[in-house]
Amino acid sequence: MASFTPYTYIQCPCYDSTVRGWTADDASPTISHELSEDDDDHAFDPRAPRSTFSLYPLEYLLYCDVCHQIRCPRCVSEELVTIYCPNCLFEVGSSSLKTEGNRCFQCPICIGPLAVQAFESPPESALLSSDNASTPIPSGPWVLTCSYCHWNSSEIGIKFDKPQGIFAQLQKLRYGEDQSKHIVSGDTSPAKPDSIPDTNKARFAALKSFYGSQTQKNKPTIMREADSINEGFRLINLDESSAISQLRRDGWDGTVTSAQTKTQVEEGARFADQLWPIPYLLRTKRSKRCPVCRHIISKPEPKVSNTRWRIRLAANNNAIPSISIKPLNPPPGSGSGLLKPRRPAQFLLTFKNPLFDDVKVTLATPATTPGRFASRVTVLCPEFHIDANPDNDMYLDDVLKDGERERQRQRGDEGIHQAEAGKIWERGRNWVSIVVEVVPASLRIEPSPSLPSKGDPELDLGPLREDEDILEIPMFVRLEWESEPSHDQVGATTSKDKDAREKRELAYWCAIGIGRISQD
Amino acid sequence: MSRKQVKGEYIETDTGNKVARKAVLVGTQHIMLGGKTVIQADAMIRGDLARTTQPPSTSGAAPGSNTAVAIGRYCFLSKGCCLRPPGRIYKGSFTYLPLRLGDHVFVGEGTVVQAATIGSHVHIGQNVVIGEFAIIKDYVRVLDGAVVAPNMVIPSFSIVAGQPARVVGEVPEGGHEAFELRELYKTVGNNPQPLPV
Repeated sequence: MASFTPYTYIQCPCYDSTVRGWTADDASPTISHELSEDDDDHAFDPRAPRSTFSLYPLEYLLYCDVCHQIRCPRCVSEELVTIYCPNCLFEVGSSSLKTEGNRCFQCPICIGPLAVQAFESPPESALLSSDNASTPIPSGPWVLTCSYCHWNSSEIGIKFDKPQGIFAQLQKLRYGEDQSKHIVSGDTSPAKPDSIPDTNKARFAALKSFYGSQTQKNKPTIMREADSINEGFRLINLDESSAISQLRRDGWDGTVTSAQTKTQVEEGARFADQLWPIPYLLRTKRSKRCPVCRHIISKPEPKVSNTRWRIRLAANNNAIPSISIKPLNPPPGSGSGLLKPRRPAQFLLTFKNPLFDDVKVTLATPATTPGRFASRVTVLCPEFHIDANPDNDMYLDDVLKDGERERQRQRGDEGIHQAEAGKIWERGRNWVSIVVEVVPASLRIEPSPSLPSKGDPELDLGPLREDEDILEIPMFVRLEWESEPSHDQVGATTSKDKDAREKRELAYWCAIGIGRISQD
Repeated sequence: MSRKQVKGEYIETDTGNKVARKAVLVGTQHIMLGGKTVIQADAMIRGDLARTTQPPSTSGAAPGSNTAVAIGRYCFLSKGCCLRPPGRIYKGSFTYLPLRLGDHVFVGEGTVVQAATIGSHVHIGQNVVIGEFAIIKDYVRVLDGAVVAPNMVIPSFSIVAGQPARVVGEVPEGGHEAFELRELYKTVGNNPQPLPV
């Protein structure tokens, strides 16, 4: 049985807005209105196919402090800040992106990084006689070598005259008039007419210009299709004898894998000697904007080497309390770690407040989980306060923590802790633990008489689907807190008294994965 | 080496390092610990693989200057991992070159690290192999079982996995704090504290 780690995924509100956007365009606005009203009563189903695209781990979410709303990677708009090569970390200006080629290449066999090396290995004498101080100056020809799988570019007949400007040399070897590559690779097929290099790019360009000229022509002439090589037309070579003989000679090892062809720049490679070094895909640093108010909510420093951020409104630091899950009474020597059907189990949910203000949390869950196997869920304490996150001063933190521990110890002496309805389990400086009781459903497929089926005529009696045995609780979390007013409108704040606190609230659905239910 | 007479699983130094008695440190004069670093049992650091370019006469004159493994603060070396300086032929003779770790570097169980440089806030999972002269920048997560190719450079905020390792994802904006190892540091040693909530 695969191990299971409890998880919390949070739903981004952008899911909701897309649905609303569609219904607004709908032909029947009355129905859509009813639906949206109905939506308030309707519990969120984390198993619905659409939910997959709106649920995110907390770390992936951002928080717009102007709209006071959660933003996910799918709904923010991104802007390029810096483009750089992931191998040499060299920043590429947007103007030189297309003119200058890549500096670094990946191995076409294993995608490891390639390095330029002299083709001839250093003379043996230098290795043997250590007293020989004069180091041999490596001279060409040069090859690209992979230190992971020990592939080198001489295997496909590529050698370079100089160690710099590899991209230009490769380009010349591949697309230029230089035909040395074809000779070395043992291509014995009859020489193809080479007025246009035989690449998809060049053929497409030829086709495009041909058809462009056709459409611009005046009416009298009838349009015709491309029919010559100059126009980008190519007859497929049906004579596969050379390919077959190569297959006989090189065997399975001489062919390419689908993963290797996918990473190639040009399509159509079938044999390993047709694989070219892969230019590294460039990477970017991006800033992110709120899709609604267009404020920047995440912006990294532009320099490649700098890992700081100018703006980073991550949801877990600016709004949303983290939720961690653990069993209240871990069974001694728990072998399987599976939940037993119809056996109540208690779990501790710990909410940790990242804000510098006290937060009031209200929780709501449906009484039974949605889906075919309805487990019963009871939140023993659905309403509680979490104290503010103290200033994250390290030293102060350490001093205060000791005191906190003292208090905890005292509380522990009070007696045996019992999970009680309406009471929190444990409280820390900026965290609160509450107890959730679940009664896992039985995974038997036959309709159980104990659970009232809502008169559903077509009961799904299919076999257990993937991950259907996971007990996942949809939980609605509502946060209320008071904070300093945002200083967007400078004039407005100065006129009012400074002590005015602004009420904030944030509400969202989340899906809490508690555990797997045992199948017996 | 053990100044404290109290027998514990760990030797705790003045700078806050916690070194398991069962850790295997070879060539300690070539190992630099920045402080508050945890080295668990059976972790091995090959300080003996120090640079060998200098003639033997001068290397004896300045011991300690020839660092083989430099480790920053709040690093965590799990059980059975190995830090091994990379070596190559340089100016006609074979030599080892130093291995540097930044701050808050977690090295998982059974992992072998032969990198040239590992930045700060790096998490390396279990049974990973970091090839020789690899360079890992800050805020990188290497998932379990990955094999990072020799000479590979991994840029900041990457998540890498696979054999050979490739970048499979980006560290999200909210994931930076997860690299902090201060709390983990407190959970080991002769007087371990439970992880705070």
